[in-house]
Amino acid sequence: MSVSPTAAAAPSAGAADWRSSPPANDYTVDELMIVALSECFVDGDQACNGMASFIPVTAFQLALRTHAPDLVWLAGAVGLDPQPDRVPASTLEAPLWRNSVMYVEQYGDFWNFALNGRWLQKFCVGAAQLDKFGNGNNSVIGAEYHKPRVRLPGTAGLGDMGSIGKQLYYWNPNHNPRAIVDRVDFVSCAGWLGGGDERRALGLAGGPELVITNLCVMDFEPTSRHMRLKSLHPGISIEQVQAATGFEVLVPDGAIGLTRVPTEHEVHLIRHVIDPDGMRLREFGK
Amino acid sequence: MAQVKLTSVAEAMTLVGDGDVVAIQNMATQAAPMGLVRELIRQGRRDLGAVCLVGGIPIDWLAAAGCLNRLIGAAVSMEQFGLCQRYRKAVEAQQIRVEELSETALNARLGAGARNLPFLPTRGLIGTDLIAINDNLVMLDDPFGGLPVVACRALVPDVALIHCHRADRYGNVQYEPTALWPDLGIMPKAATRVIVSAEEIVHTDVLRRNPDRTVLPGFMVDAVVEIPWGAHPTSFNPNYGYDTGMHLAWTKAARDDDATAVFLERYVTGPANQVEYLDRVGGASRMAALARWEITA
Repeated sequence: MSVSPTAAAAPSAGAADWRSSPPANDYTVDELMIVALSECFVDGDQACNGMASFIPVTAFQLALRTHAPDLVWLAGAVGLDPQPDRVPASTLEAPLWRNSVMYVEQYGDFWNFALNGRWLQKFCVGAAQLDKFGNGNNSVIGAEYHKPRVRLPGTAGLGDMGSIGKQLYYWNPNHNPRAIVDRVDFVSCAGWLGGGDERRALGLAGGPELVITNLCVMDFEPTSRHMRLKSLHPGISIEQVQAATGFEVLVPDGAIGLTRVPTEHEVHLIRHVIDPDGMRLREFGK
Repeated sequence: MAQVKLTSVAEAMTLVGDGDVVAIQNMATQAAPMGLVRELIRQGRRDLGAVCLVGGIPIDWLAAAGCLNRLIGAAVSMEQFGLCQRYRKAVEAQQIRVEELSETALNARLGAGARNLPFLPTRGLIGTDLIAINDNLVMLDDPFGGLPVVACRALVPDVALIHCHRADRYGNVQYEPTALWPDLGIMPKAATRVIVSAEEIVHTDVLRRNPDRTVLPGFMVDAVVEIPWGAHPTSFNPNYGYDTGMHLAWTKAARDDDATAVFLERYVTGPANQVEYLDRVGGASRMAALARWEITA
């Protein structure tokens, strides 16, 4: 896929714009999160998305139109190299995989690609609960699984992606202490488990890499595997992050960086080319 | 000569008994055999187990009508229309028991069922809490000395319900190019009985023009029924999109017991046949808009 139609359609001047474009003055936090996530996907990667994943699908398309023209996107884990005319109201319906090169059959093909280990090495995860060791929960809230206080949708593909060597990129547009918690009520997506070498001891490769929220970007300290502040979004303080987090936030030594501000070109692509209907704002309850 | 499998929806659904495990094709807002599911509810089946990859509105309607007492699946969600609230409440009230599987674990259970094996392994789920609570999943050492795997016990649903673009009267099933979920790839192959609804029943010669689009052989199918717009209000690509208005009307009704009962009577148990159903959900003009994928409220 060295010459993807999506990349070919972008004018060469546009490709240069993303390098030279100045920081935008009027970006919004959705655009900041999308840019931060898009930077995680580079040429040579394959990316796929699941349900209600407006931020990932916008990020993949931004990467394709800027720094990663050779990124391969499997829309909805179905449509290879699609050409949606805009982000549609669903990220798991046919308008997203319009004009695909291939429809990937799920039982055989998709899971063979994902389980093989050579492809689809990164996966974006949205979880109702995420804990300090990067374990995700989309199953139940409450102490007893069969007597749940709240029944969540279910693990779907996360129960696989957490255990089969993928690098996990969590995104959450609503950083709050009920969502970013000390321990998940139930592990339905395996992260660093109890921390330290517990994940590796089970023979699991990969693991949580980053957490991108509306307040900050966090990574995981390499020895303890405890979630750690990586960069603050402009205008956000450590105290604000702490107040929104259900455990004591690990702050690295030295100055905390700022999350990179989107360029004017990136903002233009997101607002006017990739997602003109603002579907990404649905993740913020708008 | 092949057996004729063409029948009426009412006759077809007598192949489902109370207490059966019923695998239902569906991916959130996509491709559910809604005509068949409505008939299950009309016939008043009880104590059913549903098997779904990602179940949407059919699971919520079955839960609302009191047909389900267990569910085996990877997720239940109507995606942009939110959680299935009637299903959720029934689970929280312990009226429906959930066996939650990852996608590869569900595929492994069904794959073992299809091939008459005791189990198939997966490497999904390792490290999660989903293994310890499930008697159908067991950690197993690799007999060849590699890393452990999760043995997923064979699952043989009593019935699989499928919707397709066209079929002949012998039950040969054809699909137009679209997303092919494991619902079609493995569910009907694992199930003891298979009931298919088709947008249209065609002469076998029509199937012969594109044999590469035939996805199930008639010998695997027990009954086939013609139900045009049979996936409505879910989408059936490329023929028609999901019905936003219908999903929104349901999520609104589902908040309230009386409104739920009124909704189910009007759209599920009330209409005597598919023609009456389509009339109640907006008729030909509505269907024409959905066929143009006009996603309108």
